[in-house]
Amino acid sequence: MHEPRDFLFWPARVLPHLALLVALLGLWEWAVASGSVDTIMVPRPSAIMAAIFELYVTKGSIYQHFFITLAEAVFGFLIGAGVAIALAVSSSLSENFERYVSPYAVVLNVTPGIALTPIIIAWFGYGMGSKIALAAVICFFPIFVNTLTGLRQTDPDREELFRSFGASRRQVFTQLRVPAALPLMFAGLKIGLTTALIGAVVAEFAQATAGVGVLMSRFSFALDMASSLATLLSMTLIGLLLFYTMEFLDDRVVFWRRDARMSAVSRARARAWASGAEK
Amino acid sequence: MADVVTQMAATGGKSLRQRQNATHIGIFLTLILLWELGALMGWLDPLFFPAPSAILTSFWRIYFAQGNIWYHLYVSLGLVFAGFTAGSILGIGLGAVVGMNGLVRRFLQPYVIVLEATPRIAVAPLLIAALGFGATSKIAIIMLVCFFAPFINTLSGVINVDRDRMELMRSLGASKLQVLRKLVLPEAVPVIMAGERLALTSALSGVLVAEFIQRDQGIGTLILTYTRNLNMASAFACILTLTLIGFLIFKGMEKLDHHIAYWKNEAGLRRVGAKRAQAWATAQRGQSNA
Amino acid sequence: MNTMQSSAQAATAARRGIVIEGRDVGKSFGGGSVIALEGASFSVKAGSFVSLVGPSGCGKSTLLRLIAGLIDRTSGQLTVHGRDVKGPHSDVGMMFQRATLLEWRTAIENVLLPVELQRTVTAADRARATELLAMVGLKDFAFSFPSQLSGGMQQRVALARLLQTGADILLLDEPFGALDEFTRERLNIELMRIVGEVGATTLFVTHNILEAIFLADEVMVMTPRPGRLARMVHVPFARPRTPELTLTPEFNALVAEVRDILGTH
Ligand SMILES: Nc1ncnc2c1ncn2[C@@H]1O[C@H](COP(=O)(O)OP(=O)(O)OP(=O)(O)O)[C@@H](O)[C@H]1O
Ligand SMILES: [Mg+2]
Repeated sequence: MHEPRDFLFWPARVLPHLALLVALLGLWEWAVASGSVDTIMVPRPSAIMAAIFELYVTKGSIYQHFFITLAEAVFGFLIGAGVAIALAVSSSLSENFERYVSPYAVVLNVTPGIALTPIIIAWFGYGMGSKIALAAVICFFPIFVNTLTGLRQTDPDREELFRSFGASRRQVFTQLRVPAALPLMFAGLKIGLTTALIGAVVAEFAQATAGVGVLMSRFSFALDMASSLATLLSMTLIGLLLFYTMEFLDDRVVFWRRDARMSAVSRARARAWASGAEK
Repeated sequence: MADVVTQMAATGGKSLRQRQNATHIGIFLTLILLWELGALMGWLDPLFFPAPSAILTSFWRIYFAQGNIWYHLYVSLGLVFAGFTAGSILGIGLGAVVGMNGLVRRFLQPYVIVLEATPRIAVAPLLIAALGFGATSKIAIIMLVCFFAPFINTLSGVINVDRDRMELMRSLGASKLQVLRKLVLPEAVPVIMAGERLALTSALSGVLVAEFIQRDQGIGTLILTYTRNLNMASAFACILTLTLIGFLIFKGMEKLDHHIAYWKNEAGLRRVGAKRAQAWATAQRGQSNA
Repeated sequence: MNTMQSSAQAATAARRGIVIEGRDVGKSFGGGSVIALEGASFSVKAGSFVSLVGPSGCGKSTLLRLIAGLIDRTSGQLTVHGRDVKGPHSDVGMMFQRATLLEWRTAIENVLLPVELQRTVTAADRARATELLAMVGLKDFAFSFPSQLSGGMQQRVALARLLQTGADILLLDEPFGALDEFTRERLNIELMRIVGEVGATTLFVTHNILEAIFLADEVMVMTPRPGRLARMVHVPFARPRTPELTLTPEFNALVAEVRDILGTH
């Protein structure tokens, strides 16, 4: 989104933020140290740092949990997204399929998927299976609905134009409908990915032996607030990791929505065109 | 899509619509019958798929024979209402303030991104530990999961206000408060309502998670207990209850949306237009009488 | 010293009957990277109708927004009624290419908006709003919402709203640009009549040279990149004008002149 030369100015952009953050943390530390805030309820920033250091460096105990949760969220997401996209594509291609299947999807949508947690754990056990299943179930709907909406919102003028060029149904679908649906689909995938992480964590709260959710409840109930906040920050880290991966893909695939990417792609295509013309 | 259906019905496609409805019901009944049959023949593990008849019996039991679900529903929905109200007021208010103030927005942006990426419901154990077991921590959890969607939507509604209209307001010498009240908020209403819809759904999830952890009362606790006791039919009945509640919420919010953002639908335009013309005429008459 | 100077300016401007005066007005965006307007010097007489023509991106909208005080100039002097322009002021009313109506308000409520922003609405204001709607030919649509009106009708509501401000300077930025030819022509003639009735000073941006000349007493011709004021062309034809005017050789000579200015730059 930024111009390349923006890069040179990044300290100017980041420094005020950093200054504010440091000031806030300092104020917080001071408030706790001066005894005006309860240390058990609100740990000091330095205690949280110490907990992070312990979790990540001295003990290194978080990695196992971190990667288990990450894997649960990603696998759940892949399954949920796969089913959602397959169903959305089928629905957009067949009126009958849509008419008779989408009501069930709507019913699923209005049910809070989280309510299935105990049942899914009963079905899939205490291991990773149940976490993946819950993640898949609750990330299904945003992806399904966005993809279907995207595929259905066709511009009649453009479709007519395509048909006037003698395009086949298949060409209309792949050349017109799918590209037009991509922005919305990616928006759905982004929401879905965050939702999948929520599913994994909630299932871990309910019953599990490993994962950041387990860590979180353990620390919380031992009233070790510093460590639970450190764990929360780890979840944020997982969330950011997933979010930016999706953002990156979005940037690559739906390049025409971003100015900077658009000019990059247009330069690349111009180059390819030129070298093709030489041959 | 509903429009298409009604339209078809209106233009003499009645028999087609009836046929489609029949097909719907047919498919549904076939599925249920197959399921029942499967349970009856022992092909389906009752632990996984309790028979439809068993679920129906459970419905009867938890609603009437035993009648124990009412209390839990009452508890959970009360919490949802409290947390949702508090969370959305906070979200909309903060969203408007942050949206109108460029400097605050700039400094808050990284925190918003971080908050967006965090699975916010994960704070549940922490809040329970800090605030203790009971309603307070549950409401805090619901508030927290509700807060975000109205906040973000109000914020983006406020930021994306139409540029020309903004200039118009400025050229008419409107104050900041007037711009907010007369242009920004009304223009953002549809987006804010969409946020409220998400918030209400999240509130339902929030109360469930809080109850899963606290295991004292409420519909979440009920589902958990039934599942633990391997009474799957009753657990399913509870979940279907939530489906119904979810559906009612969905419909209710849709109605509310139509009502509040009346200028986005034909019927609303006609209704409000007529009402205003009437009010105007009454005022005019009062004027001439005086 | 400054106030003295400006009051002296006000006095001379009033004597000459000049309501808007610019000297070397310039505007750049992005810290000087985009020059939208450069060295514009002009004056507009009270009650006159001035058209602005020029290719897209030459700074016409920028000039209007500067006069309205919506943006600050980066160089030069600009006065309205002899007073230095700094920030939005109530001497001018604006109208845009899009009607910019508030779609949750009925037509008449949209017309009343300017009043509502200043004070409580009185019965007199309501009567005036009704009158203005009648003037733009929308008497029967007072309680319609914008989405129930056609594009041309929406623009008429915007025009009524503009007149409700009571401003004596009207800034119109391609107000009918998005409409079809027939509607536009009709609205132009109506606009001329209404503006004449109200006696307002009008700045009217358009891309259409014929339209510009037909409506105006004075045509400001602008050239692109960076936006400059090339010339003011005086239009001598008497009012009221009829569409037949556009067929006369005098009119077409003027059209050719403006084309020429635009073409040679
Ligand atoms: N807010 C802004 N930021 C940066 N550049 C701007 C801004 N507003 C206008 N410009 C630039 O200033 C120049 C003049 O713009 P302006 O809108 O005044 O042109 P215009 O003559 O009204 O064009 P058109 O006939 O297309 O409406 C253009 O090059 C435009 O890109
Ligand atoms: Mg313009």
